[in-house]
Amino acid sequence: MIIAFHESTPLVDNLSNPLRADKISPTRANDAIRLPTSAEQKKVQKLLQQWPKSLKLTTPIPPNCRTVVVKQHFDPILNPTSIRSFPFLWKSVDIYRSPLPFREIDSLSTQLRSDNLLFPLHFHAIFVGFGPDPDQLHRSILSEITKLTSENSKCSSNYTLSVTLDLGSRCLRSPTSSPHSSSYRCGSITATDFVQNDDVAVDERLASVFGRKTKEYSVAVVKGGSERAVVGKHRHAWMVVDDGSEVEAAVVKVAELLVKVFINGGRDEGSIRNEFMPVGADGKIVLSFNLLNADPLDWVYDWDFEKIDDALLAPMIEALGPVANISVESQVLYHTPKASFSYWNQKLESYVFSTRDLPFFVNSNEWHLDTSIAAGGRSKILQFAVYVPSAKECPLLLQLPNGVMSKTNGFTSPMWGGVIVWNPQGCLKDSEFEPSAKNIIPMQDLENMFEVFIGQLRQLFGFKSANVYAGASGDWNLLPSERGFTEWELEVLSRQQACFNLHSCATTLGSLSRLVQSLPRMIIMDEIGKQVKFSLEAAKLALSNASSGVYESSAASSSQARSLAEDAFFHPSIMSVSYYSFEHCFAVYSPFFLPVSMHVVLAALRELRRYKQEKAKYLVWKAKANTPS
Amino acid sequence: METFNNPKPVLHLLLLPCLLLYSSIAFSSSVEAAMHTNNWAVLVCTSRFWFNYRHMANTLSLYRTVKRLGIPDERIILMLADDMACNTRNKYPAQVFNNENHRLNLYGDNVEVDYRGYEVTVENFLRVLTGRHETAVPRSKRLLSDEGSHILLYMTGHGGDEFLKFQDSEELQSHDLADAVKQMKEKHRFKELLIMVDTCQAATLFNQLQSPGVLAIGSSMKGENSYSHHLDSDVGVSVVDRFTYYTLAFFERLNIYDNASLSSLFSSYNPSWLMSTAYYRKGVYKRSLEEVPVTTFFGSVMETIHTDAAYKALSRRNSGKFEAQTSLDQSVHHSERRTPVKVNDRDETHNINPEGQEGASKCPWSTFCNKFLKAENVDSLVNYGLVAMVPFLMISMWLVR
Repeated sequence: MIIAFHESTPLVDNLSNPLRADKISPTRANDAIRLPTSAEQKKVQKLLQQWPKSLKLTTPIPPNCRTVVVKQHFDPILNPTSIRSFPFLWKSVDIYRSPLPFREIDSLSTQLRSDNLLFPLHFHAIFVGFGPDPDQLHRSILSEITKLTSENSKCSSNYTLSVTLDLGSRCLRSPTSSPHSSSYRCGSITATDFVQNDDVAVDERLASVFGRKTKEYSVAVVKGGSERAVVGKHRHAWMVVDDGSEVEAAVVKVAELLVKVFINGGRDEGSIRNEFMPVGADGKIVLSFNLLNADPLDWVYDWDFEKIDDALLAPMIEALGPVANISVESQVLYHTPKASFSYWNQKLESYVFSTRDLPFFVNSNEWHLDTSIAAGGRSKILQFAVYVPSAKECPLLLQLPNGVMSKTNGFTSPMWGGVIVWNPQGCLKDSEFEPSAKNIIPMQDLENMFEVFIGQLRQLFGFKSANVYAGASGDWNLLPSERGFTEWELEVLSRQQACFNLHSCATTLGSLSRLVQSLPRMIIMDEIGKQVKFSLEAAKLALSNASSGVYESSAASSSQARSLAEDAFFHPSIMSVSYYSFEHCFAVYSPFFLPVSMHVVLAALRELRRYKQEKAKYLVWKAKANTPS
Repeated sequence: METFNNPKPVLHLLLLPCLLLYSSIAFSSSVEAAMHTNNWAVLVCTSRFWFNYRHMANTLSLYRTVKRLGIPDERIILMLADDMACNTRNKYPAQVFNNENHRLNLYGDNVEVDYRGYEVTVENFLRVLTGRHETAVPRSKRLLSDEGSHILLYMTGHGGDEFLKFQDSEELQSHDLADAVKQMKEKHRFKELLIMVDTCQAATLFNQLQSPGVLAIGSSMKGENSYSHHLDSDVGVSVVDRFTYYTLAFFERLNIYDNASLSSLFSSYNPSWLMSTAYYRKGVYKRSLEEVPVTTFFGSVMETIHTDAAYKALSRRNSGKFEAQTSLDQSVHHSERRTPVKVNDRDETHNINPEGQEGASKCPWSTFCNKFLKAENVDSLVNYGLVAMVPFLMISMWLVR
């Protein structure tokens, strides 16, 4: 009986499979209690002497010696077989844990925590034809910059400044040996370049001068002509000042440009925060465009989505590539009334919807927007909806709290998307438009609509779409890019995204390592180990790219690092273990093992008692055998 | 609802190391000032079988309510452990009612059940909360909340001291729930969470909760039963539980524009109607309940920002010089903070003894239950019973031999 028990598969194996518990079949108790005859007892003596040599349990045993065998193998600890089987037992209950680089995870987070992620930025200010000593300019601009920069929480920039005074034939530089300003050739910018009225042409001219490859932010200050300050599409800005104006004013304005526009992207502090970057944890965004026909009985509209996609969206998506992997979907929906009511305004001859009620505009139960199958579990879907009102509520206008009508007729919701109300021609009173069964939204309207959508997307990313940056020391005009985001805005986004992703990756990996270390009985699959390893590698690459100023690739690899870290953290295999409590284990298996263990304990006691009896008998017999001789 | 007296304390001693290790996961940086982005609801009915009809009705009623108040289907995870509508014993096929007047068919239109039948397991439930899904699981079955989400978690079923039964075969323990919530907090999966549980001894389920931003309300205190409200003689079973019934009664008076506060909801539970004491646990929830509108959890008030300007990407392409838009709408409109109004200003005494009322009809073993409840320490009684079984077992074995 005991043999049957300890020779069977290891206990733990049975634990893992309740159905196999029946293997532990106690032989009938009657077998064990037949007492040996004296002849048998002699054999017992022999066997006992031989015992150390007979190592194998499987040694054939005479059938009448069964009880003896039981005695022989009674002590499972000393039994060599069980000693040898310990490695197997150990192996079979061993839990596979792929080694995780805990130390590297810690060092990543301490690295991010201790020395803030510093992005190097190079500024270059060029004063054409006027100005005092460049060293003095350099000092005054720097002091203005330090006045403006606030201590950012997580990521800051490590900026260097060089100032060039272009006197046509020669240049005065400060600092004299800066590697960044030396690429600029003297006299390549003259005041006459800025006389023309075409800002785009000036922008292109400057782009050819500075070269698009150089990673520095330049600002040119020119004297003469009408006052004007413009930020271009690339990495430079220019400023035309009056003949009579002071250099000091220009210095303040330049410093504000560098800090507020080129570093911060021209956004307000705390409008939409870092954490609310609408990018999924896997670095993907799905832009879902929906055309909602509120009541198809009145009119049905369709759109030429592919055309607008090619013209407007494709360049923007390409430009945003380093920040997020974006895909686009579109659908046309019918029978999609809005959730709240508008009222008729006689003066405007239209229905007015107050922005105070905007939270109740989206009718989530009728607008089936989230129908995407392309989006993975951790991607972000941004919904953009064009709402075509029904005849009962057309034209529909949005009214701001101050009574002014909205120019865009649209609104956004952070992390969700945006809505535009588009009033079809049919409901304008004086139009002779006859709605047919199926109408196409005119291309001009569609373009306007998508410009609003791009504005909304920019808003979701935290940028303003107005073409003026109103600073404390004066306004800067901002040249819009056909790609939706200018180069300097994309770099602001890349820096921000890289910073956010790296911190998020470090915290995720930190949580994972704490979880793993706190559960020593948890299986860690190789896949998780690989994901953590690759995530760390990508994070290191992102860090080194960030410190060398390659923001795009830093953002790209940081998003990869974050995505892999999330994959590892949310790996489905972790769940099954962390949920499996010991209490469950006990509750499930105790019904199997409680009766068995009772038998085992009783049998052991019985064997012990019998052993004592046998021994007493044997001693008596021995004494008897000894006395006659 | 029957009380399941649980012999757990003995096991807890054994368990402690395991659980302590797990719950020692520390919090990292907490996002304090995160903005509210969206609302989610996870509604769970955990019990099978026809006689648990009311649990499905409870859950479906809550589903209708939150949907009416603005949470869309794609942000509701509905888990129903059994399909009462198609049960052969249902006299009204494909219909589920929560009232004997049969005025409202809960299973009428647009009911999107995300997890049904045997899919409703403790494991799946915890997977939904923690987000650890297989890659093939569709978005509609996932809780895709973010750090600005408000989540309502409603659970109903049979429970007991620190556990809730799933499918009559598994248990969700208070430790499991607390661990899942902790994991959610760690990964910033919610900003605020309201856990609402309608089961016997519901308050015990919250014992282990420690995460900040979590508010919990249960239908009954430790040692109390939660009773059903009334029996529908046509359907043949009870159709709604008391706690849920009075919750629904509160929400019937509200629409999406209302801003009744959570405290008015919590104080609307009258222990003499409930026949148990509704217990809420504020824990580390910071905001004052008078200031929190119920729509924080039971509705969806979108944060909206008006779009000031279009981005003139195309129209600028051809023109050169442009003039600044001077009349900018600088005003960014946030939906106004809605100041909650106290709908219900009733003061009531709190400990109302449920015994001796007709509600006992709800508990099939009511007399047995009551006897047990009267005993001072039920757990120790059970433990003594277990110990007493051991010599009995030994004697029987000696006899068998």
